[in-house]
Amino acid sequence: MAKITIDGVEHEFEEGKNLFEACAEANGEKLPHFCYHPGLSIAGVCRMCQVEIEGVPKLVIACNAAVRDGMVVNTKTPRVRSTVQNILNFHLLHHPVDCPVCDQAGECSLQDFYMDHGLYDAEIDIDDKIDKGKVKPIGDLVMLDAERCVLCARCTRFTSEITKTHELGIFNRGNHSEIDVAPGKTLDNNYSLNTVDICPVGALTSRDFRFRKRVWWLDVTDSVCPGCATGCNMTIDHNEGTAYRFKPRENPEVNDYWMCDHGRLLYKRIVTDARLEHPTVGVGERREQSWWERAYRRVLELAESRTLVFAGSPHATLEELYALGRLAEAVDGRWLGARLSGTETGEGDDILFSADRTPNAEGIRRLGAGEFTVEQLREAATQENVLVVLENDLAGLAAEDSVLDGFAAVVTIATDGTATSDRAEVVLPTLKYAEKLGTFVNKDGRAQALNAAFPGPAEARDTIRIVRDLGEVFGHTFAWADTAGVRGEIASTVEGFGAISGGIGPQGVALDAGSVQPTPSGGEEAQA
Amino acid sequence: MAEFPKILSANWDVENSHTLDVYESRGGYGAMRKALTSGGMSPDEVRELVKDSGLRGRGGAGFPTGVKWGFVPDTDKKKYLLVNADESEPGTFKDRYIMDFDPHMMIEGSILSSYAINANDCFIYIRGEYGWLVDRVQEAVDEAYAKGYLGKDILGSGYDLEMIVHKGAGAYICGEETGLINSLEGRKGQPRIKPPFPAVVGFLDCPTIVNNVETVAAVPWIVNNGADAYKAIGTEKSTGTKLWSVSGPVKRPGNYEVPMGLPMKELIYGEDYCQGMLDGVELKACIPGGSSVPVLTAEETLACNIDYESFAEHGTMLGSGGCIVIGDDASMPELLKVVLQFYHHESCGQCTPCREGTGWLDMILDRMLRGEGRPKDLELLDRIGNNMMGTTICVLADAAVMPAQSFVKKFRDEFEALLPEMEEPEEYIPTTSAAEMPR
Repeated sequence: MAKITIDGVEHEFEEGKNLFEACAEANGEKLPHFCYHPGLSIAGVCRMCQVEIEGVPKLVIACNAAVRDGMVVNTKTPRVRSTVQNILNFHLLHHPVDCPVCDQAGECSLQDFYMDHGLYDAEIDIDDKIDKGKVKPIGDLVMLDAERCVLCARCTRFTSEITKTHELGIFNRGNHSEIDVAPGKTLDNNYSLNTVDICPVGALTSRDFRFRKRVWWLDVTDSVCPGCATGCNMTIDHNEGTAYRFKPRENPEVNDYWMCDHGRLLYKRIVTDARLEHPTVGVGERREQSWWERAYRRVLELAESRTLVFAGSPHATLEELYALGRLAEAVDGRWLGARLSGTETGEGDDILFSADRTPNAEGIRRLGAGEFTVEQLREAATQENVLVVLENDLAGLAAEDSVLDGFAAVVTIATDGTATSDRAEVVLPTLKYAEKLGTFVNKDGRAQALNAAFPGPAEARDTIRIVRDLGEVFGHTFAWADTAGVRGEIASTVEGFGAISGGIGPQGVALDAGSVQPTPSGGEEAQA
Repeated sequence: MAEFPKILSANWDVENSHTLDVYESRGGYGAMRKALTSGGMSPDEVRELVKDSGLRGRGGAGFPTGVKWGFVPDTDKKKYLLVNADESEPGTFKDRYIMDFDPHMMIEGSILSSYAINANDCFIYIRGEYGWLVDRVQEAVDEAYAKGYLGKDILGSGYDLEMIVHKGAGAYICGEETGLINSLEGRKGQPRIKPPFPAVVGFLDCPTIVNNVETVAAVPWIVNNGADAYKAIGTEKSTGTKLWSVSGPVKRPGNYEVPMGLPMKELIYGEDYCQGMLDGVELKACIPGGSSVPVLTAEETLACNIDYESFAEHGTMLGSGGCIVIGDDASMPELLKVVLQFYHHESCGQCTPCREGTGWLDMILDRMLRGEGRPKDLELLDRIGNNMMGTTICVLADAAVMPAQSFVKKFRDEFEALLPEMEEPEEYIPTTSAAEMPR
């Protein structure tokens, strides 16, 4: 460890630690900067993070300096402040003052630093500003306004170091330098929107988010991407019940600072035309909007002299799957499994995107909830059985609409209308991942928490509540009443889940390796 | 001035001096034989000898060459010598003479320098505009290969050296050593942040020494004649000789090999050198070491000697030895415009202060010359300069600021003449009173 004095206060850091990071930790705020990004190589070009190191005549950029024992660093002296102010002036020299129409306004480093360090008038005439062009689509999702660019080279470093696709470059020299796509290329890799995130100014904006919401109206809720088994940490940026975008949230154990475009755009599937908003009873022309108690009673009627066959889903949370499993036991039903084998996979990459497109497949494995095949499903489809399916469009996934026809009836706990819900005698509308609490376990066995960003449709109910209510209807009272209760029971009763007993923080919790449960009443048994 | 041996320019007047035969007939490759043949010198001995000679980098920075070689770490990694022939400092035209008239001296010096740092690969990076010199140097390298002076097991010494001639694409910044390394690697010619320094992490992330042509060209003579003979020339801290490229309204402009310590007065007016100013022109100023160093007034010029200490004393630098003599018929603002336009054009654009600052300086001077200057423009020039100095990765920003600030400081009247008189700001009189405003 090295003792280092930053702004008069002594701190201890590891010898060789990046001085920019050390100053950020010591002072609780980052030094002004554009080009530094912890996930990228050091460029050292914006010159904003200069600090005074005693014994070094010139100011030094903190991002390219290392902590050394005995170092005395000053970040707030008049000399540092005036240097930063003057360098900021260079940054702003040719910057258009179009904040009122710029999407970055409100989350723009240039604006923030101007308020902290600038506050001077423009020093060149508007006619003298170099025109570098505006509103150039450089990919399906990214718009370039080169005149706003401060040439921090974060985006070019991202495409050369992270995606290694090299679409972006800085062309020309001197004050004619300009970001652009390489000739004949477009920025169309699956990570293109990360360049928008890391752009400290409004040069790269999301064509999807552009002009849709001023960022200061957005509330931010921590969540986990439901798009694949990686489980990238993200925030849901929302306003009045509508999500406007997903942004990656730093987690060195999962996604570092990044997130793929596929996952980001899933916010569009939260508010849908197909959303199920009321419980319904009946199929086809007999279907009518109902109320919860009647829907529950209908399930009870269906179960009379028949067996309930339960199917979970890799899109359901750990708590939901566990609760449904307990319900299956309580009503002497059969547990079919929680995933239709071989479905919902695609091509992955070696950055973040997993071939498995479901967020909780590992949770299924660790709970021992099991998978089932189309054959098993077909065999179970008899007039003696009623299928209870959670958040899964089995008819759609099996690509065989008639596969469910053999059941005496289908009950579904679902969010959106699908081929399965169309066939369901009882539809129990539930909440989506952005509307509820819960846990997904990613492919590396990391339990990560969902949070409710906004409420779901007024009449939709949380699956945990639905399961508990159904238990009551069948004359069984569970010990838990909500997601936290279920999570607590999982932690204390299911082997390998002890790590979540203390709660799941924003960075998730790694579960014990190899804590996989044998399938309790799973696929094989159902077959037998 | 005492007689001194010509070290760098001895062969320039000899017919076919660029050929191997002529070079060898005049003792060429003797130093290489001396060092490499059995019982010769170890790499450390060559390095210590050069360190002892006091030879300093001739590209502009003047860093002691032997000390620089000593920074190469003793690792298993490959080591590289890159010879910087990207001579592009305005006013400088010395390296081209060496490559044109004595390429083998550079090659022999490069062999010895590579040997001293245990490098088995050497690149000669020649600026794109020197197209014909690329051919000339390549011919010389081919001759050396044919004779066994390059390649495997040179002179049976067991020492291998491959030499590759590389043509740059014509960017000033590729003469900066890390810009040169990036360019040679096939990247955009932009300087790298330091640390790490190239001696540790350079070309292809291996230890790399970048030396100027003139620097390596002096090494054979030092190996032949010893450090003491070299130190006997010049002053205590500036040893040996220096090529001095003189341009401007003097009677005999051109390249001169001068002993360090030669008075500038002798250079400009001496019979052996420039023989005075052109008739009818008086000396007004002089940029001694290439366009990026601070300008000297006539008086200061005549008080300077050609050595590192004397120029430093007068607030300027020896630089690359591109001496631009300025006569009293020249307009300093117009001259500065040419200089600033150059740096504006050549800024690589990486670091914000340089990218924006060089263009801004140029823009302000441009409007002054158009008669559209503003009363505070000179203060603005000075302030922009202060904010650029020392705030960037490489010294291109400093190179633009030093002439800009020194020109304005020393020839302020010429610049002030371009500006409008200072006026009191007009009092603001609202044309409509608040009561009359439409509601």
